[in-house]
Amino acid sequence: MKKESNLKCGLEIHQRLDTHKLFCNCPSIEGNEVNKKYKRKLNVVKSEISEVDKTAQFEKQKNTDYIYEFYPEVCCELEIDECPPLKLNQEALDIVLEIALNLNSNIVDEVHFMRKQVIDGSNTSGFQRTAIIATGGYIESSKGKVSIETICLEEESSGIIKKEIGQSTFRLDRLGIPLIEISTGPDIIDPEHAQEIAKKIGMILRVTGKVQRGLGTIRQDVNVSIPEGARVEIKGAQELDLIPKLIENEIKRQENLKKLLDKLKNIQLNEQLGFCTADVTEIFEETESKFIKTAINNGEKIFALKLEKHNGILGIELLPNIRYGTELSQYAKTAGVKGIIHSDENLEKYKINDEEIFQIKLSLDSKKEDAFVLVAAPEQIAINALYKVLERVNMHFIPLETRRADKDLSYFMRPIAGKARMYPETDIPPQIIDTDRLNKIKNKKGKGLEDTQASLEKMLNMDLAKKMLKSKYLQLFIKLTEEGYDPLLVANTLEQTLTELRREGVNIEKITDNQIIKIFTEYKKGRFTKKAIGEILRYTTETEDIDTILKTYELNKITGKNLEKIIENNHGNIGEIMKKYRLNIEPEEIQSILKNKNKKL
Amino acid sequence: MYSKEIQKMLIKEKIEIGDKILLKQNNKEYSGVLMPRPELGDENCLVIKLDNGYNIGIKTTDNFKIKILEKLKPIKKTVEKEKLEKGDITILGCGGTISSKVEYKTGAVYPAISQKELLSNFPEIKDITTINTRSIFSLLSGDLNQKHWKIIGEEIEKELKKDIEGIVISHGTDTMHYTSAALSFMIQESPVPIILTGAQRSSDRGSSDSKLNLLSSLMAAKSDFSEIGVCMHSNLNDNLCYVHKGTRVRKMHTSRRDAFKSINQLPILRIDYYNKTVDSVNKYIKKDKNRKPKINLKLNENIGLIYIHPGINPKFIEKLSDYDGIVLAGTGLGHVPTNAFNDKNSKSILKEIQGLIKSNIPVVMSPQTLYGRLNLNTYTYGRQLKQIGVIGHLCDWTPETAFTKLCWVLGHEKKMEKIKQEMETNFVGEITDRSVVL
Repeated sequence: MKKESNLKCGLEIHQRLDTHKLFCNCPSIEGNEVNKKYKRKLNVVKSEISEVDKTAQFEKQKNTDYIYEFYPEVCCELEIDECPPLKLNQEALDIVLEIALNLNSNIVDEVHFMRKQVIDGSNTSGFQRTAIIATGGYIESSKGKVSIETICLEEESSGIIKKEIGQSTFRLDRLGIPLIEISTGPDIIDPEHAQEIAKKIGMILRVTGKVQRGLGTIRQDVNVSIPEGARVEIKGAQELDLIPKLIENEIKRQENLKKLLDKLKNIQLNEQLGFCTADVTEIFEETESKFIKTAINNGEKIFALKLEKHNGILGIELLPNIRYGTELSQYAKTAGVKGIIHSDENLEKYKINDEEIFQIKLSLDSKKEDAFVLVAAPEQIAINALYKVLERVNMHFIPLETRRADKDLSYFMRPIAGKARMYPETDIPPQIIDTDRLNKIKNKKGKGLEDTQASLEKMLNMDLAKKMLKSKYLQLFIKLTEEGYDPLLVANTLEQTLTELRREGVNIEKITDNQIIKIFTEYKKGRFTKKAIGEILRYTTETEDIDTILKTYELNKITGKNLEKIIENNHGNIGEIMKKYRLNIEPEEIQSILKNKNKKL
Repeated sequence: MYSKEIQKMLIKEKIEIGDKILLKQNNKEYSGVLMPRPELGDENCLVIKLDNGYNIGIKTTDNFKIKILEKLKPIKKTVEKEKLEKGDITILGCGGTISSKVEYKTGAVYPAISQKELLSNFPEIKDITTINTRSIFSLLSGDLNQKHWKIIGEEIEKELKKDIEGIVISHGTDTMHYTSAALSFMIQESPVPIILTGAQRSSDRGSSDSKLNLLSSLMAAKSDFSEIGVCMHSNLNDNLCYVHKGTRVRKMHTSRRDAFKSINQLPILRIDYYNKTVDSVNKYIKKDKNRKPKINLKLNENIGLIYIHPGINPKFIEKLSDYDGIVLAGTGLGHVPTNAFNDKNSKSILKEIQGLIKSNIPVVMSPQTLYGRLNLNTYTYGRQLKQIGVIGHLCDWTPETAFTKLCWVLGHEKKMEKIKQEMETNFVGEITDRSVVL
């Protein structure tokens, strides 16, 4: 199949595993209560090959304090970087090995954990521990095979909860949860294909039953580039349905940037602009602009930057409502400002009047064809922010960027990270993966996506099979059907009955898998009817004792002599009987009694 | 090290560490840079660094082929002769994570203490002071002993003859409190501060505590404090450091950055690097550049430090006679089993201790509780120990400080009477007269 506009696109899927943390015995769950906060700094260090990583240096310029919220129940010394890692969680490794086998990947003979530098503060240590478990492999799709490049096992980072000037706050509870990272090759053909692959990988992971479910437990990163464009890594695409649009927008953004670069070339704007700034705070002494006034009252300064020959350029739209100026603003923000104002904007919106504009231009010695950018911030931050803007303007190419996804758009986060970020994690000995271990996993492992799908389709109708495949109760379904329960009854109970109860406001999250298994065991003993299962599930959120539920809500099945009596009293009218005893009698049993009677007669 | 077979194969193919190679194992193919073999793991696995920066191990089993793709290009190192500027503070390197660099190609750790390197790694130094740097040796602190303390002492002696404001010594943390205590006895009444510092997180990681520790040490070395001190993080935040008295400090945690604590006393200084303040928390001797230091670097290297435990074998105590002096870390107020109540199941080591003392081997008590003061008057076995001449009644030293003091006292004193008297006399804050409530 021919690829759309020579798009190069690959995915990186991060999924949390359903086991304790990777290098300590803390549980991989959310914490409830913060008992301490720690304040840290991070230094830039040289990498294994002695180049200071670009991203690392970039973050350092921000000179941030990192505040870490500590959750004592789910964090130990390791999360706050106060002890070496204990030992590798072997269960996590087994899960990744199982998935790698399902993806036809080549498993390495010896796993070497690496320290991948991250200086954005999301790891207290300044690095993330990560290892390649397998390379190669592929996923089948409607548009052909998509190759797998690497499958890694790594630590989840801590979650950022607040970002202010000079200070970022993180929560430590999720730091160290084991993640599998699956990176595909750049074989994705078009934006819809990306969605298909993301969905499929998600299902492959869930089918194992060994990964976490729920919001935030899976994240998709998308790598996109077009010819003469640049490789851009878009982090944290949340909704699968928005992935195609997200990629389309990135293609469009790069194409429009290409056009903009051509335009600049045409007006011979390819020399490096100088850093011409002015403190224009005084101009705004009596301004009506509310936000400038507030800034000045807070002791902040207003700085202006001249951008020669850029009049009209900053206003060029890259995407609807996203202008070139917006891109510059995103660069400025990395220095800690809230944003910029530029001369291609409607400045009346900010209540900046013509006189003030004139004065700004005067202090910058601007010509008509020049543009300007304004920021409000403490002096050093303002200057840094404007310098970021200038640096971006002086890039006469589409920069390699790591961007953050926000619905179907993305925003600049930092320059793309180079490979210089890796060095060996000497605290964890290399781990040999022998054939015995792999054989054990092969024998024990579930069926994998394709086979599971096929066996579901044998047991259920297409619609229900599809639902079950995506269901969070898939593992429970497999277990119950393996124990001989009727697949249709199990699937309906898990997918329909529970959904109905949830809609009625029953807190079905409280119903454990074990309780559901118990209910089915009791059902098999003939203690209540199929129809009563839903009611028992409803009341099981109040008490787990099935005897009590049956007694309190009169849900015992009526059989034998009692049933015969009821049939007699109602003259064998099944409709009538079921009206009265819907939850207590199985209609089939009435039929069989009636049949026997007829035989006797 | 790789296995012999791998080494042979590499020689045959003329492949060296750092070369880019192609590996073929059955139908799989990998290319990457050949890395040195880590100590642990399977010596039959080749470790390569892939283009994406990850290392993986590939077994050299059946159908294994290896081919060189590219020779390692030697990195041109221009050895610039450093023009040394004379600085106010001398930094002496004794190894440890704070002043070391990891050579990732080989995994070797080597000292990085040159003036240029330190200033380029920590440009903030310039805002505090000017420095001279010198590496004495580069060792893990667990490998240091009395000989090394003496070498450090000699280097300090040389420095004290120069016109400097202070000395900072970078040191491994494991035994830093032994070195600080030993130096405290060896170099008394120093005219300028002598500060030991180290790092609990190695300098190759972003979260290393080395920067704050080093910069705070330099601030301490510029201050008016003038003793032997240890400067390390005061808590788990990267904001404050404490300077502890050399005879009072002890490493109290295997890994935390605030592992160093003052025992039985408050620390001396609180250094707030970010706000550039030095606050005094406890009394100390003030700087006086005209003061002549009292230096006595002689140490006895044959001292034992023994941890008393239930059921300790009397024969083991008997065998300690090979030592010239013994420090016991006793239980409670300073006790050892003496079978004071003649119990049939108890075993006394009193006779053996007495035997040591009689053969002119001083036995010094110290508390394994670490906190609190010894008192040999309270219980029977305490009184028994005191009676046979065990040294240390009413001392509030740590076992490590008692140990280094005995090394020092036995370095210049032979007579038991004098030894006992010197040991129980306070020289440099190792024995205090008041048990402060902290």
